[in-house]
Amino acid sequence: MELATAKTNSTRRVPTQAEIDKNTTILNKWLGEAETRLGSANPFAKDTQLVAEEHFAHVGLPDRKAEDYKYTHIRTYLQEDYTAKAFAANILPSEIESLLNDDFISIVVVNGKYVTEYSRLNKLPQQVTVQSLYKALQQGNEVAIKNFNRALHKSKNPLAMLNTALAGDGIFINVPETFLCPVPIHIVNICTGDTKALHNPRSLVYLHENAELTLIESYHSIKQTEKNFTNSVTEFYIEDNASLENYILQDEDALSQRNDVRQFIVNRDSRLNSVIISLDGGMVRNDPTVLIEGENSEAHLNGLFIVKENGHIDNHTMVEHRVPNCFSNELYKGVISDNAEGVFNGKILVYRDAQKTNAYQSNKNILLGDKAVINTKPQLEIYADDVRCTHGTSTGMLNEEALFYMRSRGLNEKLAKNILLQAFAKEVSNTIKNEAFRAFIEQKIEENIQ
Amino acid sequence: MLEIKDLKVSVEGKQILKGLNLTVNKGEVHAIMGPNGSGKSTLASVIAGKEDYTVDGGSITFNGKDMLELSADERAKEGMFLAFQYPVEIPGVSTINFLKTAIAEIRQYRGLPPMEAKDFLKTMREKQKLVEIEANLTGRSVNEGFSGGEKKRNEIFQMAMLEPSMAILDETDSGLDIDALRIVATGVNKLRTKDNAFVVITHYQRLLEYIVPDFVHVLYKGRIVKSGTRELALELEGKGYDWIKKEFSEIEA
Ligand SMILES: Nc1ncnc2c1ncn2[C@@H]1O[C@H](COP(=O)(O)OP(=O)(O)OP(=O)(O)O)[C@@H](O)[C@H]1O
Ligand SMILES: [Mg+2]
Repeated sequence: MELATAKTNSTRRVPTQAEIDKNTTILNKWLGEAETRLGSANPFAKDTQLVAEEHFAHVGLPDRKAEDYKYTHIRTYLQEDYTAKAFAANILPSEIESLLNDDFISIVVVNGKYVTEYSRLNKLPQQVTVQSLYKALQQGNEVAIKNFNRALHKSKNPLAMLNTALAGDGIFINVPETFLCPVPIHIVNICTGDTKALHNPRSLVYLHENAELTLIESYHSIKQTEKNFTNSVTEFYIEDNASLENYILQDEDALSQRNDVRQFIVNRDSRLNSVIISLDGGMVRNDPTVLIEGENSEAHLNGLFIVKENGHIDNHTMVEHRVPNCFSNELYKGVISDNAEGVFNGKILVYRDAQKTNAYQSNKNILLGDKAVINTKPQLEIYADDVRCTHGTSTGMLNEEALFYMRSRGLNEKLAKNILLQAFAKEVSNTIKNEAFRAFIEQKIEENIQ
Repeated sequence: MLEIKDLKVSVEGKQILKGLNLTVNKGEVHAIMGPNGSGKSTLASVIAGKEDYTVDGGSITFNGKDMLELSADERAKEGMFLAFQYPVEIPGVSTINFLKTAIAEIRQYRGLPPMEAKDFLKTMREKQKLVEIEANLTGRSVNEGFSGGEKKRNEIFQMAMLEPSMAILDETDSGLDIDALRIVATGVNKLRTKDNAFVVITHYQRLLEYIVPDFVHVLYKGRIVKSGTRELALELEGKGYDWIKKEFSEIEA
């Protein structure tokens, strides 16, 4: 425990020139296909992208030896023949109607691009900025320029580097000082298309001091007839005494493959509640990282993943306590059936100076069927001595005693199982504070459990 | 109403019930007593439809239906109820919702229309009063964090709500304090009609002072070795099981 500050990544082997060349070839192919990139909006962004290109050339896509991707071999999902070329989406307003909620501010994003015509901003308070990140950078928005990639510039995440290098657009949200956004912002993300596509959406959310926001993101597939790979990155800045509720529903079809990196910078006296509900998709990799940089803050990370058939959902979470007197609580629950595979790899890192840290982590899974698999790997790395940190994990079948008890009162087996699974899931859905969205999620969960 | 003939049951290769006979008619209360491990809970579980047990022979008929052909939930829908010796905790499922679902399922099976919400609430209030169970308990997750006595009382509350035609109470009295015992027994007595029946499994004669049985049976080593009236319970209270064991080993020899 002699480290002054913790090093998060084990030192990487220096790549050979041949490896760099190979990585560069892949990257150049994608760079050539990506028509507009954020760099053309702004010179600072351009520099950032050049640096990211350089970094990615050195690391490349993670291979089988990469510890952080031990259970998710990215290269089997994302191959060279995926194109980074953007193509026109062919979605009708009527096809997304049912996904929009009139009580929210609705932002529609198709294949990573903001579609203003389909969005509904009539409830958006004038104080809050919601626009394309490209436009924000182009218009010289200080917040966007200063913070683009700031949360990630030390990150060793190869997919985040790839995103930074290739990103063409995404959403920029800015909530000014002391503004409590009264209406949730809902970003409706749609994947569509008949091409093996690689999308690299990039978003930035900034809550200034004392601000509050509920940001809902939902992910859907419409008329998707070929596999795609979405490699998204969102940076979140939560300034002093600000509060962010961030709810995610991943509900895509089996052709969707998604790597979702979200980087949260949590400042003094602030609060983050992240809830990720993963119900479907061929492959989902959730990679939230919370960097707690100001004292007296709290971070809640809640996740529910229901994986079926040949699905694969990997939750790779990181909470870094960099300063004293903060609290974090993480709860991830999985229901894995058929041939599906679930992963939970959660890490808590407490820096030497982060005394009086309270950090908790729990992962509970239910396996349905003999072929379902869960890989769970909790990690605690603690360099401070006056902390309270616990982690626990449990995996089992449905409780047979409870099932018999329920059946003996007249519930058939299927119903009894569904009720037990819904109760299991509720512990996570209950952490969603917005009632309308919670009800919607519970309905979704119920349908998914059938 | 319930007819058990020559029932032989084993679990994991071990024979537990070895040819058990029992007939219960409607309107009757039967008490089953017997030393620990003699097979009382096994009998109750097999009647309720627990699948961990293998029925090696014999039959269970309930209102003319072959119970062994029915699943656990179908038996409940036919009017069978088991109050568990060890009620199970079900985190995240409130007793109210659980009962609502159970009643809906049972009514549907019987071809009855769904119960109106206000009727359900009215019944809830009535039955809560009957077993003097606090409303906050029924609002909580089923049995979660309940004391031993609260769990037992919740079993009787559920029984009152589901109105089975036959209920097996497996040691519902153990874990109850003196007042709770009286409340539960009074509740059971109020639920007695000429059309339903009860099988009360107990170790103590005390319960039988409140719930007066028509018959008392002694289950020993997987068989009913002695049957009598309530006086038999008194005799057992005074003399223990040694004399039964002795008599039985003489018969066996
Ligand atoms: N699932 C099981 N696996 C193995 N043995 C079992 C199982 N269930 C019951 N038994 C055994 O069967 C025998 C009868 O058990 P049972 O629970 O029916 O007894 P009981 O008469 O209810 O006893 P008590 O008065 O202590 O409640 C015991 O020896 C018990 O260990
Ligand atoms: Mg018993």
